Amino acid sequence: MRKTYIIVVVLALAAIVGNHLISPSSGRAVSPEDFAGACAPCGAPCPSKK
Amino acid sequence: MSTAALSAPDTHAGVSIDRLFLALALIATAILVALVLLDGQPASAALILGGFGLGIAFLKAEFSYTASWRRFLTRGEAGGLLGGLIVIAITALAVVPVAALKQNFGGAIAPLGPSLLIGAFTFGIGMQLANGCGSGTLYTAGGGSGRMLIALLFFVVGSVFGSLSLPSALSLGGIDPILASDYLGPWGGLAATLASIALAASVIVAVAKRRGASFMPSRNFVIGGIAIGLLCVAVFIAGGHPWSVTFGYTVWGAKIASVLGFDFSHAAFWQWPGPKHALAESVLSDTSSLTDFGMLFGAMAEAAAAKPFARTAWPPAKSLLAAGIGGLLMGWGARLGFGCNIGAFVGGVASGSLHGWVWFAAALPGCLIGIRLRPLFGLSRD
Repeated sequence: MRKTYIIVVVLALAAIVGNHLISPSSGRAVSPEDFAGACAPCGAPCPSKK
Repeated sequence: MSTAALSAPDTHAGVSIDRLFLALALIATAILVALVLLDGQPASAALILGGFGLGIAFLKAEFSYTASWRRFLTRGEAGGLLGGLIVIAITALAVVPVAALKQNFGGAIAPLGPSLLIGAFTFGIGMQLANGCGSGTLYTAGGGSGRMLIALLFFVVGSVFGSLSLPSALSLGGIDPILASDYLGPWGGLAATLASIALAASVIVAVAKRRGASFMPSRNFVIGGIAIGLLCVAVFIAGGHPWSVTFGYTVWGAKIASVLGFDFSHAAFWQWPGPKHALAESVLSDTSSLTDFGMLFGAMAEAAAAKPFARTAWPPAKSLLAAGIGGLLMGWGARLGFGCNIGAFVGGVASGSLHGWVWFAAALPGCLIGIRLRPLFGLSRD
């Protein structure tokens, strides 16, 4: 199990760093709730706005 | 050099330190913190470190929503549930008034409707099969449980399926969020929220007394509950919203699926502004992912500082199957139910949003089903 963990951690870290380096990053970290019209933590719209 | 040689336990005063995994956890955390600081984002660094602290606190206190709920449902024991309410009450003291009074802060809100009920109920089944909820999966996987690593993998997969199902589920109907502070103001909303927590606690204690079970939280749960509550406040201040766990999983799954060739451009969920932004931007731009990464590595550091890391054998296949099915159900349920125990229940109730209590009421019967199913996978009902 230890070897599995080492592989998973190294791959995950490489994926995180790789994604960060190749993806845009426009300022502070945000949650989907920060966007206009969001009605839930995942950014779903409000029923009344449909 | 072999892994065994690298990880020879360093024993001091009866404590075995697993230097390899302690170093791995600390280096990984330091790299992530350095990356966000290089981007000039101290709040992101605070979220990673807040998650790191939560990983330590959860593992140290063995704070488990899943086991607490199971003990309440099977034996009537209320201590664990009350420990969870301590977390919510402390978090509410900051979230309700600050979200109502300060710009750039907001509570965890969600619509009320069939999607919430179906999602929370499904999540309840999954958390008992997997033996961990959103936060529990994170800290036990980080803490060296290979079984929960499987649960986490399927949680991620399930949450992507959930993202594809959510728009259809929302079309079943619902009403806009109901927030106490919208009706009663910031301080009236806080009073109503604390009163609802006190009422829930008194009902839980009454049930425990009627069943002749204990209702006092253990010392671990009281201290752990206070520490976790304070860390929830810190995460709220750093991120502007209550701590949430499962949106990060959805983003990770969608990013991996995109790399594998899946196209989300026609999926309604991924066209909403928040998810669309999260899928396009760096994973370190998502608040939920930042605390998740911190929590995984915090739990790993805490586990490795106490004993040799991940030395146990893999559990039986049936147990791994339960972890996988549980993870899938939790992932799907978390998207339809607007979060897990943390994002929907803790965050929702601590924000004074009615959906938090509705989520709790729908997840409990799901847990009952999950508990009945556990023996099929060789797991005890206790």
